[in-house]
Amino acid sequence: MIPGAAPDLTAERDRQLAERVLSGDEAAFRSLYRRHTPRLYQLALRLLAGDDAEAEDAVQDIWIKAVEKLETFRWESELSTWLHAIALNVSREALRRRGSRREVEWPENDEPAAAPPLERLEPVDLERAIASLPAGYRTVLVLHDVEGHTHEAIAEQLGVTPGTTKSQLFRARRAVRALLAPDQGRRAI
Amino acid sequence: MNDPNDLTPAERRALEALPGERAPRAELEDRVVGALQRRGLLPIPLAVRTGRRHVLPWLVGAVAASLALFAGGFASGQYLGARSGAAAALSGVQASRGTPAQVAAHAERAGALYVAALVALNQVNDSTDVATWAKARQVALAALGAAAGEVAHLAPDDPLAAAVLRGLNERTQEQRPAPSTRSVVWF
Repeated sequence: MIPGAAPDLTAERDRQLAERVLSGDEAAFRSLYRRHTPRLYQLALRLLAGDDAEAEDAVQDIWIKAVEKLETFRWESELSTWLHAIALNVSREALRRRGSRREVEWPENDEPAAAPPLERLEPVDLERAIASLPAGYRTVLVLHDVEGHTHEAIAEQLGVTPGTTKSQLFRARRAVRALLAPDQGRRAI
Repeated sequence: MNDPNDLTPAERRALEALPGERAPRAELEDRVVGALQRRGLLPIPLAVRTGRRHVLPWLVGAVAASLALFAGGFASGQYLGARSGAAAALSGVQASRGTPAQVAAHAERAGALYVAALVALNQVNDSTDVATWAKARQVALAALGAAAGEVAHLAPDDPLAAAVLRGLNERTQEQRPAPSTRSVVWF
């Protein structure tokens, strides 16, 4: 540590709690849960297009996987980053299970209609538009434009190339604009 | 030159304004803890563990001990008649290989007897025999813990059973002297 630098209390607290969880301390787990769950729940909720029940199931699965693998976590990254990656995987598994039953069909060669950039956006409309996107577009847009990840990081997490994520983001933004543009006929998606 | 697909400042602001956190329903926390306990990732409170491995002998033993206390001079005459019924109910539960309805009926009878024993204990609450009273209370709580543990296994998300177990567990921990090293019994 750099002399005089403030210690990372958040990371240190996470580590202390995690060690206590590994020794079977339920209270420590509850503390860890309360520190991280609101962010994990929001991410899962967004990736799962606003389905509360599925997002709650995802949160449960995230913590099961996290506690199962906690002993192997090397603390080379922040716990929140690791949990975020688990949340992404769990949410994608849920989307795969959901399959085409409830997901929007949007063939690759069917370009979303072009629409002008938006000058005014209400958060509720934006959330609704994101939820309306096909799962692939939604995932990349949430990770890049909402969570602030780079294309390289997203590509690694999704097991695709950065070129693919850029293409997905292009389509996702275009679709959101098409959905929200006032005088654009909203396509049925 | 800007890519026409780049976000406009308004779009960027709108995306940044989206909340990064949202609290789920409070009940989810207990549900997750229960799920971890069922997978052995967190220890199950002692009462539940004991209940699962040695359910019947422990529960029956606890109730039987309560009844023994009660028959040993605690109870008033009106409850003595319940002894033979209690013994029958307990032996019926122990030997039970009946239908679910029969087993449920045994559980109901045993529960009624447990409550009857507690009523009897309450009636002698003014006893000067403090040690015996404390022992009886411990036996009653042990039986309550075992029963709540079983209810938790029947219905893992039952909040009332979880609350009883949590309360008993906290009480046990408060009364336990601090050990030099923590020993966790994993389920």
